Amino acid sequence: MATPENLDTTARPRRPATLRSQRVKEALTGYGFVLPAVALFALMGVYTIIYGLLLSFARWNGFTPHWTWVGVGNYLDLLYRDPVIAPVVQSAALRTVVVMVAVPALAVAIGFPLAVLLNSITRLRGFFRTVFFLPYVTAGIAVFYAWTYVLQPDGSLNYVLRHLGLGTLAQPQGFLGNPSTALPTLIVVMAWSAIPVAMLLYLTGLQSIDSSVLDAARTDGAGTLRTMTAVVWPLLRPITAAVVMLNMRDALQGFQIFLVMTNGGPGGHTTVLGLESYNLAFFSGLRPTLGLASALGWLLFVVALILAAINVRVLRSRT
Amino acid sequence: MTAPAAVAAPTKPTPDPDRADRPSRAPGSHPVQRNLGRTVAYVLLLLYAVVSAYPFAWMVSGAFKDSKEILSGGHLIPHRPTLSTLVQTWNQLHFLRYFGNSLIITVCTTAGVLLFYSMAGYAFAVLRFPGRRLLYGAFVSLLFVPGITVLLPLVILQSDLGILGSRIGLILPFINGTAPLSIMLLTNSFRAVPGELRESARCDGAGELRTFWSIHLPAVRPALVTIALLTAIPTWNEYVLSRVSLNDPSSYTLPLGLQNLSSSASPQQNVLMAASLIIVVPVVVLFLLLQRYFVNGLAGAVKG
Repeated sequence: MATPENLDTTARPRRPATLRSQRVKEALTGYGFVLPAVALFALMGVYTIIYGLLLSFARWNGFTPHWTWVGVGNYLDLLYRDPVIAPVVQSAALRTVVVMVAVPALAVAIGFPLAVLLNSITRLRGFFRTVFFLPYVTAGIAVFYAWTYVLQPDGSLNYVLRHLGLGTLAQPQGFLGNPSTALPTLIVVMAWSAIPVAMLLYLTGLQSIDSSVLDAARTDGAGTLRTMTAVVWPLLRPITAAVVMLNMRDALQGFQIFLVMTNGGPGGHTTVLGLESYNLAFFSGLRPTLGLASALGWLLFVVALILAAINVRVLRSRT
Repeated sequence: MTAPAAVAAPTKPTPDPDRADRPSRAPGSHPVQRNLGRTVAYVLLLLYAVVSAYPFAWMVSGAFKDSKEILSGGHLIPHRPTLSTLVQTWNQLHFLRYFGNSLIITVCTTAGVLLFYSMAGYAFAVLRFPGRRLLYGAFVSLLFVPGITVLLPLVILQSDLGILGSRIGLILPFINGTAPLSIMLLTNSFRAVPGELRESARCDGAGELRTFWSIHLPAVRPALVTIALLTAIPTWNEYVLSRVSLNDPSSYTLPLGLQNLSSSASPQQNVLMAASLIIVVPVVVLFLLLQRYFVNGLAGAVKG
């Protein structure tokens, strides 16, 4: 049996009826194969997205039978109008931006050198890669509890710092209990779980670089550091773009670590936009904040789309 | 819902990092200098290995301490290591039940993902039908929808369908959550299967279903293992949707059981660490066994 392409050119004039029935059959088979995925997508994806969009234009507490339409009121309330919620949203937005800059920066600044080091050794490479990957594999509530245990006032980090003679760096209130160290600490933990993937991507990138390029650089008298900064780093720019994009996306949407480790505390100093939306959706009792929660979710969605568009442009302009 | 994200671009098979090992020469012509460079590299790698393993080390340490020793401070190696904390934690809090719930949800989600999206990937890669590009694009663009944006509508939908708090109520959105990544990976893998295989199978009279099942599916086995891991691990660890969906303690998964422990009146750190260890160990074992697939697949998935 020939492919449809072949039939297009050779068999059409002679056997149009067979061809058409074959095409119809293949199309029907195709729809049959995608049906389960599409049905689930329509229900869990399309329906929920549209529902959320509609809800973002309404006021509802989840219990009354009807929604009250408020147009773009929720969006205005979030951005500036509501005297209680707008300031919370603004400071949460500021923190989210800090996280979106700091986590990708750390992931690149540590992931890249780590990959270079790992690529330069021959023995124990598999061992190191396995250990470096543990944070990614176990990312979840269990590891965040372990971090909380390590970071608490009588936790091991304070203990280790004191024994290393760095007692001034220790935090008597715990690293998560002090309002000025809580957010930086969470950023470090987020970076800790983001570094494995960044490292792995750089590692595959490094291994795809033609060794003759590196040899040429060396023949020209470039040292290791110079080869890295002037040759390897520019070649891996697409990977850097991917690492930055992934981590910005996760920083924008992810709030699980904030929920588990501080729940926004102390005193709201670690509330980010995702967590604020979550609280508006699930922890505001009978107050009609579900529309606000949806509107905030959609604002995040719009920012994610803008980021994706920027990323596509950056990748295209550089390759 | 925490499936590792990918940059929306068709993926290529990645070179195997292990096979592509290329011992790069250390800089400098002098052997002493070369040795020094290598030593520095190992020291730095070892330092980061400590950072990487730090919380696990303390998790294990805490899990083997009793309730008195856990309060006495910062030594890593327990003076009187005990299994009683682990045993006690396992028994006292229906952990067997939570473990079972987690296992059922993870296995069903993974099976559903493999079935649904290998079928869809096959259709997108091999069959020709009107609208397939549009559908493929729709699935991939789901990647950009933040989980929080659909979290509340999802819970309302579960409630409307009468599946709020049930296992199926979690399994269905979990399956859908991995759709973009799974479809991208599998479509690309199926595209790489030589078309002649399908031709000859069809000539031998095999139907479409048969061709899919006995020719194409075995050919993309590595991709299927990768997808299974990329689905199973985040599903096992999932917390946010489970927390807002499950009300009845008898339906809790392990992460919720852990959360429940910590919100009790006086949570003890050794018990929390024991519970955390119980959650983490299966994932770590799975990872160690299938590491090769995981690392390669992830690189392929994210690289694009």
